[in-house]
Amino acid sequence: MRRLLLAGSLIFSVASIAPSIAAAPTLVGKDAPDFVLKSLDGSNLRMSEFRGQVVLVNFWARWAGDSRQEMPALDRINITYQRAGLVVLGVSVDEDLQRAREFAGAMKVSYPIMFDTGSNIGRDYMLQKMPMTILVDRAGVVRYSNVGFKRGDERAYLDHIRELLRE
Amino acid sequence: MNSKHRVVSFIACVALLACAGAALGAPQAPAAALAATAPAAAPAAVPVAAAPSPSDTTAPPTEFKTLDQEVQGLKKDVIDLNKDLFVLQEELLFPANTQVALYVSMDVGAFFALDSVTIKIDNKVVTNYLYTAREADALLKGGVQQVYLGNLKVGKHELVAFFTGKGPIERDYKRGATINFEKGVGAKYLELKITDHVAKHQPEFAIKDWE
Repeated sequence: MRRLLLAGSLIFSVASIAPSIAAAPTLVGKDAPDFVLKSLDGSNLRMSEFRGQVVLVNFWARWAGDSRQEMPALDRINITYQRAGLVVLGVSVDEDLQRAREFAGAMKVSYPIMFDTGSNIGRDYMLQKMPMTILVDRAGVVRYSNVGFKRGDERAYLDHIRELLRE
Repeated sequence: MNSKHRVVSFIACVALLACAGAALGAPQAPAAALAATAPAAAPAAVPVAAAPSPSDTTAPPTEFKTLDQEVQGLKKDVIDLNKDLFVLQEELLFPANTQVALYVSMDVGAFFALDSVTIKIDNKVVTNYLYTAREADALLKGGVQQVYLGNLKVGKHELVAFFTGKGPIERDYKRGATINFEKGVGAKYLELKITDHVAKHQPEFAIKDWE
């Protein structure tokens, strides 16, 4: 009986701690902070200029292995949904700009890749771990945020994208 | 209680639940439906306006019109209040005796495609602005952009502006312009002008001090 009680209290404490771990600060429900960055093709892109479209922003880094897996998945999503009003933006947070450019060029993705070189975007977007993906609705409000990437996450992205495109 | 009574009470319960479900499921019944049921319930209390003629069935009732007008009025008040607050905030944060405002304008732009502007005042970078294609287009159409608003002490100051972009024949282009100006008691307005020098086939960068 004592063991049962002990196991029960252990499960309860783990269950009560789990939400506090998952509830790291996110921007969901808040306006997406504006930023302007130079892209791989040399043009400057401003986040607020995509107001009226559903925007997926993927923050990535060359040293984060999951980024390498996530970018091809996002490329497929971009090819399928860009005509429906989806904009996919990749933002590199690498400090080594040259190597980040080389990496981005090698990935050959169809969506624009931008390079953050020491501005406040990381702080504004509460970046925790790389990669990090957020979805912004047509009104410019962050509606979904995902930290890291594992196989199957792209299905969750698609569900949210379809929902936001219908709005 | 026999089986007949049980069946009757069961049917009554189901009917009650169905009624309650319907009422909960439609908490905001359409106004037209409400208006349609109201005369039947209390015909004496309903004014003539509540029973519209068949020709104007699409027109909203007068009470909704007035409510809409009230909402519009409130929206206008909020916008006016926001404008007043903005002016007050500017007056507080950037008082006229210390205020310095910098503007960017561009004329023609055949020899220069603007990419970014970096501005230094007294050797300190105060702003670094990247232009998107839309913003550059807006400047070419005659738009004037306030690129910086700040405070400066009365006295002599130096402003250096660096313009980067694409020059003639798609070449990377970086030029600077400098102005030494004296900040007086009133607000100071400076305009960073980009113009085309047709004879030289080159862009020109100048800073104009608006007295």
